[in-house]
Order: sequence, then C-alpha cells, then structure tokens
Amino acid sequence: MPLLETIGVKVRFGGNIALDDVSISVEAGSVTGLIGPNGAGKTTLFNTITGLQALTSGQILFNDKDVTKEPPHKRTRMGLARTFQRLELFTTLSVRDNIRVAGEIRNRWSLRTPKMDVNAETDRIISLVGLSDVADREVGEIPTGKARVVELARALMIQPTLVLLDEPASGQTEEETGQFGQLLRDLAGEGLGICLVEHDMSLVMQVCETIHVLDFGRMIASGSAESVRNNPTVIDAYLGAPESVG
Amino acid sequence: MQTFLQYTILGLALGGAYFIAASGLVVTYTTSGIFNFAQGAIAMLAVFTYWQFRWGWGWPAPLALLMVLGILAPLLGAVLYQVVMKNLRGTSEVTKIIVSIGVMLGLQALATWVWNPTSSTPRQFQKFFGPNAFAHFGSLRVPWHIIISFIIAIAIAVGIRFLFVRTRSGVAMRAVVDDPELLQLNGGRPERLAMISWAGGSFLAALAGILIQPMIGSAMSAGALTLLVLDAFAAAMFGRLRSLPRTFMGALIIGLTTTYVVAYFPSKWTWSSSFRNSLPMIFLFIILLVLPQDRLRGATVLRLRERFRMPSVRTAWIAGLTMMIVVFCLKVIMAKTGVNTLTLALTFAIIALSLVLLTGFAGEINLAALSFGAIAVMVVYHFGISGTGTEARTTLWGILLAAVVTALVGALIALPALRLRGLYLALATMAFGVFISRMVLTERSEREIFGLKFTLFTSGQLAIPRPKIGPIDFNGEDAFLFLCAGLFVVIGIGMVYLRHSGYGRRLTAMKDSPAASATLGMSVVRLKLSIFMMSAAIAGIGGVMMAAQVGTVNSDRFDIFLSLALAMITVVGGIGYVSGALFAGIFLIAFIETLNLMLKKFAVDYSSLEAIFMFFISAVTVLPATIGITMGKNPSGAVSDIVEGMNKVKQSKPLMITVIGLEAAIWALTATEVITNWHFVILTFANLILVPMVGGKFLMARAMRGVPKPVPPELIGIDRPFTDEDLAAMDQALNLDGVVIPSSTTVREEPANASA
Repeated sequence: MPLLETIGVKVRFGGNIALDDVSISVEAGSVTGLIGPNGAGKTTLFNTITGLQALTSGQILFNDKDVTKEPPHKRTRMGLARTFQRLELFTTLSVRDNIRVAGEIRNRWSLRTPKMDVNAETDRIISLVGLSDVADREVGEIPTGKARVVELARALMIQPTLVLLDEPASGQTEEETGQFGQLLRDLAGEGLGICLVEHDMSLVMQVCETIHVLDFGRMIASGSAESVRNNPTVIDAYLGAPESVG
Repeated sequence: MQTFLQYTILGLALGGAYFIAASGLVVTYTTSGIFNFAQGAIAMLAVFTYWQFRWGWGWPAPLALLMVLGILAPLLGAVLYQVVMKNLRGTSEVTKIIVSIGVMLGLQALATWVWNPTSSTPRQFQKFFGPNAFAHFGSLRVPWHIIISFIIAIAIAVGIRFLFVRTRSGVAMRAVVDDPELLQLNGGRPERLAMISWAGGSFLAALAGILIQPMIGSAMSAGALTLLVLDAFAAAMFGRLRSLPRTFMGALIIGLTTTYVVAYFPSKWTWSSSFRNSLPMIFLFIILLVLPQDRLRGATVLRLRERFRMPSVRTAWIAGLTMMIVVFCLKVIMAKTGVNTLTLALTFAIIALSLVLLTGFAGEINLAALSFGAIAVMVVYHFGISGTGTEARTTLWGILLAAVVTALVGALIALPALRLRGLYLALATMAFGVFISRMVLTERSEREIFGLKFTLFTSGQLAIPRPKIGPIDFNGEDAFLFLCAGLFVVIGIGMVYLRHSGYGRRLTAMKDSPAASATLGMSVVRLKLSIFMMSAAIAGIGGVMMAAQVGTVNSDRFDIFLSLALAMITVVGGIGYVSGALFAGIFLIAFIETLNLMLKKFAVDYSSLEAIFMFFISAVTVLPATIGITMGKNPSGAVSDIVEGMNKVKQSKPLMITVIGLEAAIWALTATEVITNWHFVILTFANLILVPMVGGKFLMARAMRGVPKPVPPELIGIDRPFTDEDLAAMDQALNLDGVVIPSSTTVREEPANASA
C-alpha cells in the first residue's frame, strides 16, 4: 500500500489546465522522483497534495485516507511535510530558530507524549543535515543552497512520514549535492517516504527508485529510474539526448 | 407606493455613486496592488475644489467640472502614484496601508487648512441644474441630479468593463498586478499603466464625491466626506476587490438599504439615523464574515525591505530602567503642564504598544485602537469607579474588567478576518471604529432594553478619575506620571519576553510565511485570535489611562482619525519595536503640542512675523501625514535610523561621554533655572541628534586618515594588486574552500582559473 496516492488529479486555472489526470504514488522508505520541464505542473501538484491549491477533480489519498478536502495543517498533522521551491523561510528568525519553531509548532498539535525535547532535536537535525556552521546566522544572510537545506531541516522537525522536496538541490555546489543525495538515501533508509522534484538529473538518477515524469500537466511516463532514463518520450520531452544527461 | 418609488430611485442613484467610488478602488487595487484608503479624501478634496470654482468664484458648471474632473483629479492621482505609491513595491501590506492612510490624513488636513471649517458662511453645495430641477414621470417628481447620477454610474460600469475586457491597455492593466516583470518583458509598461489607473481612480473618486455631496444634503465637512466614501469600501468588498459586476450589485444594495431605512424606520426610533450612518460599516462586516477563505499564499515578495532586530531581554531591562530615570529627570525640571503633556503622551504610547504587538509581531493591523480604548473607558465608567466627587478613584478591578471586556470585543472583531489577509482585518477594524463612533458614542440618552435602563455614553461626557491600586493612590500628577511610565515599561519588557518565547516565534512564523506555517501543521486561528485579544486589552488599558489623564472625555477623544494617525505614526516610528510605540506617543502628543505652543509663543512675541508663524501652525497639522507618506522610502521606521545613530555613539567612547556629559550639563542648568525649559528642549534635540551626527563624521574622518579608501571588488587587480586576503574573501563568497591556489602573482592575472 503506497503512503501517498493521487488519483486523476486535475487542476484548472481559468482556461489553462495545469494538471490533467495525474496519478502518482509514493512508497514509504523510498525516494520517488518527480521530473519534467519548467511549467510542467510539478509545484502545482505539490500544492494540491499539501492542500495549498484546490483541485478541480480527482482524489488524494494519504495513509489510505482521503484527504482531498482537508485543510493544509490537518494534512501536515497526519505526517506530511514539504519544502518550497520559492523559499518560504521565516526571514526574521535565525537559522536555528527557523528549525526550532517548527518543533515548537509540532509540539502544539502532536498528541504523542512525551513531547519532543525541541532544543535537543533542533541540535540533532542541524548536525544531521550539516548546518552547524550557519546555525546562528540570520536566515536571510546564508546562500540559497544552504537555505534550501534549512527548509528540509524544518520539514524534518515535525517528524513526518512523507516529505515533498521541491528542487532542494538548486543553488547547491556539486559537493553539497553529493552529501545531500547521501542524506536523502539515509532518511529513506530509516523509513521516511520522500518525493523529490529536481532538475539535477544526476541527483535524481542517484537517489530515486521510482520516477514520474510530467509534461504540460500530463504524466508522460513513470517507472523505475532505468526505464524512465531510456524512455524515448521522456528523452524527447525533457532529457534530450542521453549523453547530455547531467 | 409613491414613497417606495421615490426612495427606490434615490437609493439606486446613491448606490450608483457608491459604485463609481468603489470602481475607482477596484481599478487602482487591481493595477497597483495598493488599497487606496485615500479614495474618500480625494473625493472630499474634489468636492471642496468644485465648490470653490462653482460657487466660491462663480464659474459656470461645465468649466468647473472640466477643471476638477478633467484636469485636477486625474493629475492628483498621477502625481500620487509617481511621488508616493510607486515606491511601495516590495514593501509589506502594512506599509502600503499606512502610506495610503498618510495620504488620506494629509489631504484632509490640507482641506481644513484651506477651507477653514469654522468660517462663518456655510458652504452650500447644490444639485446639478439647481435644487428645483425635476423630471416628471406621471405623478413622480425626480430631481435631474438623481437621474444623471444613475445614468453616469451605468455608463461607468459599462465603460470600465469594456476597457478591461476588450482593449489592449485594459488587458495590460490586469496583467500589471499578476506579474509586472513579465509584462515588462512582453513590452508592456507597468509603471505607466499603474499611473494611468491611479489617474482614473482619482477621477472616479472625484466624480463620486460631486454626485454624492448634494444627495446627502448636509453642509460640507471634510471629515464626514472623507468617511462617506469609505462606505464605498463595503461595495468594493462585495466584489472582493476584483469583480466589477458584483461591486455594482453591492453598491446598489447598500444605496437602497440606506434610503429604505430613512423612509420606513419609525421616526420615534431615535437610533435610526446613527444606524443609517453606520449601515455600510455593518455591511462591510457581514461581507467579511461570509467571504470565502483566502488561498494561503507564500510571501508575495521574496524579501521585504523592512528589517527589525529584536533587542535581547537584557537590553530591554536596561532601556526600561533608563526610561524611568529619564522620566524622573524630566519631571524635576518640568512645569505642571509639561508633566501633563508627558503623561498623556505616555498613555498614547501604551495604546501604541498594542499596535506594535499586533502589527509588528504578528503582521495584522488594527486601525481603531482608540475605539477599543472607548469600550474600556465605558466599562470603567459604569463598573470600575469607587467613591464620589474628589474622592472618586478608578479601581484595579475596574481596569482589569475593562481589559477583559475589550479583549472579548477584540475577539469578536477579529473573528471575521481570521481566515483572511491583513488588509481585510484592517478594514474590519476600521468598520468597527466608525461603527463605535457613529452608533455607540452617540448613545447619550437613556435606553430601556428588556426593562434594563442604561446609558452607554452618558451625556457625551465620561468623567474618569485616576486610579487607586491597593494602598497606593495615583491621584497626584507625579504619581500618575510614574504609573504610566511604569506601565509602559512593564508591558514593553513583557512584549520583548514574549517575542523571545516559543509563542513569539510562532507569531513570527505566521507573519513571515503563512504557507510554510500551515504546512508545518499550524492552525493560525487560535494564534491570531489570542494575539488580537491581547492587543485589544492593552489598547483598552491605555485608553483608560488616557481618559484618567484627561479627566473628562468626550467622543472626540476616540475619533477614528486619531486612531489612524496613531497607527501611522507608530509605523513611522518603527512598528517592530517597543520604542516605536514610545516614539508615536511622544511625537503625536508631546512633540506636536510643544511645537504648536512654541510657534504660538513666537507669534505673540514677534508680532510682525505673526502671519509666518500662523502658517507654520497650520503646516504642523499636515506634518504627521507628510511623515507617514515618506514611509515608502524607509519602511523600517524612524527608530531604526535612530538606533543606527545610537550604535555609532555606543561604538565610540569619547562620543558617548560627550553626549551624556552635555546632556547632564543641560539638565543641570535647567534644574538650577539658569536656562528655561524651551532652551532645554532645543539644546537636548541638538545634543542627541546633531552631536552624534557631526561627531560621528569627525571621528570617522580621523579614523580613516591613513587608511586607504576601500577599492570596490570589481576594481581589485586594476586599481591595486590582489592580496591573499582578497582571494580568501572571494573563495569564501564563492564557496571555493577546497581549491588550492599557488601563491604567485601569475594566477592572480586570471582569477577565473581558480574555479576550474
């Protein structure tokens, strides 16, 4: 049973169809890739999954429950977290406080007792994702690559079962991306479900077991990394000639 | 039937005029993203200008109309956009609202300056073709003015619809809001389009004003007119600031209901005229209740220009202590009137603290802080006073009860706007403020409800004594001054604590990114509600203190314009800081008051220059608004500038010693009555502002002597050779830690190699 399933999701902005009959699934303990050219509807799909965008038709199942009508914060409380492509950091807080406040928010709604020790967990997550060197800086001062990691750290603080990552590696250096891929695989190894939107194909191919491909709001392929890489439609629409792949 | 038809036609015409004003709002909002609170003030100014041309100078109507509607109004709109509104891109919603409120207050002050409201001859404003021009439909007599109004409204509705849907520039106008940069890339000129739409919006406001004024038929009053077109806000909300057809419908409903109330409410209902007046506000409130939830959006701008650094709790304690000492020192040298002014300023500062809490910490806006004060004052008046005559004192329980009641009222007001963005809460509070002014503070006679006899705002004058808390009596001027100062300090320090707590961080999270907060599982409703209640309670306490200082308050003390001015000046002072609230109180009350007194004294002392000083006295009334308008240039507020200046002083010991020493000397001279208090004010001002400025420059120059000017990064290697430090700095900036560079000058010719 997949952790997350979208069934025939359709989103229309006026006459513009942003998503048309998109059905994807994400398994627990694995990394699922979601790729496609700019404007394919990847972020819109994330928005519908998290409830920031209403859908025209279709269904979203999370943990086998229909969450299509639930508001965003209720979905989060079921274990769904995300990061934003256009950074949504709390710009007047420090890096540490950005992460800490997520834990504090979680402690407010979580029914689990005992409550999380927010300070200890913040320290653990900061060293886990490798932000120790910038932890006490203002979040507006750090490079974009690092800021994306803060977004991931913040999402991890609510102890989700599934995270949606929207282009987490853009702005990172090659070295950082390598470490980041390793981190994602470690997290998946611990049972976390991850859905990754990313343009860095080497990262996607390195970490994703399954890949869904979107183009103009439609699913044009989905399957194992290997099968997608060799799928002629995908190559045509997005990847270009195989040699040029990252 | 006759009455029904008569009033229906009147209602349609009034609704039509509301629509014209509302459509102006929608047009400017959709093209510039700024909700123009000054729309009513523009209409007001147009009415006065038209009156001046038409009846003041006796011009023929077409010429006067052409001048006002064809030239002056559009010009005003265009200038407003070019000079003020254009600078607001990339600022927060709060700043946008505050700046347009600044424009509103400025225009209003200007109008009362030019057209003195106390002038002896009442200004009469007549319908088109005079008061006796009627069209006859059978037995029905309808003034031509009414017919013209309605026809114009329909023409405008059709015209705007056509403009937006069918013409190229209309489509471009809609594109401006969605994505000005994209429009620019496609060859559009967003700035020019926004300017045109502001000119158009201003034209529509002026037209609406000229149509409405004779319909309401009373004497022209700048305040009433400014607020009258506020009623158009309600209509614009019907269409959610987007849909013109729905705005049209909303305007008609409001117009019709208003006239039906006049026609059919029994005349023995004494409250029906205040009900009529507050009707649009009630509408606005209901609409806000039923509007569907906003789509949660991320920050619309990636990085706001506002920056606030919260001081540490320790700094707050030091500042609080310093403030108490300063207040004490001032008290020693000040006359009784001075103490009174300072106390009043501090009570306003406490009210302003409620705004800092709400707006600075949570990003929500309350435009009617003083109305919450009014509620609290009424509670204290009825339930919180013990003793009579000179022995009357406000009790602690009375103050606490007032705080609780205002908090509950605050919750009620915030309720409709909880699901909505800041602008809507701002409007809800403004509706509440006008409602309180028009409906509650006019309740001066006794009413009997369910056998309970009660007067809300007894005889329009509420006497509020100073408090006695436990054994301590704060009736004396000095004791009350220290109570207010202490209260300010305690609440202020409490707020800094709050900001550093988990609750404060959650507030900040909600303010910085609602979308991210929601996806972390936060439900904003309780958080928003609690902060709004807390803020309302502080406003209530401040209001009670203000009333206790004044002694006997009438409804003017809680005027909506005063609330607006306070909100504006707090934002100017720095809405993110506790000290911003202090700035607001001191500036709005003490500074303006002192300036006025000083100018009046000069006008008497130097009678040959009286005219000049009288001019300045008038100019002072426009001053706060002018300062508010400059917010667009410096969104972080004045306090942050002062803090920057103070930091310079802190960094340099000699400068700090000079400033403190000089201030102590000035104070000592005043205390021993060698110099007067006027000199003290002027010298203190010079010492605190000018000395750090000049001294800072001087010190900077001296420190810089011998140190070469810094070379801009792109000229390093040209103006002077690369050093190892330069390379290290560059590596750090480019994240190239691991790259080893041979330490010779050959590589430095081509730094690009470093990244290979």
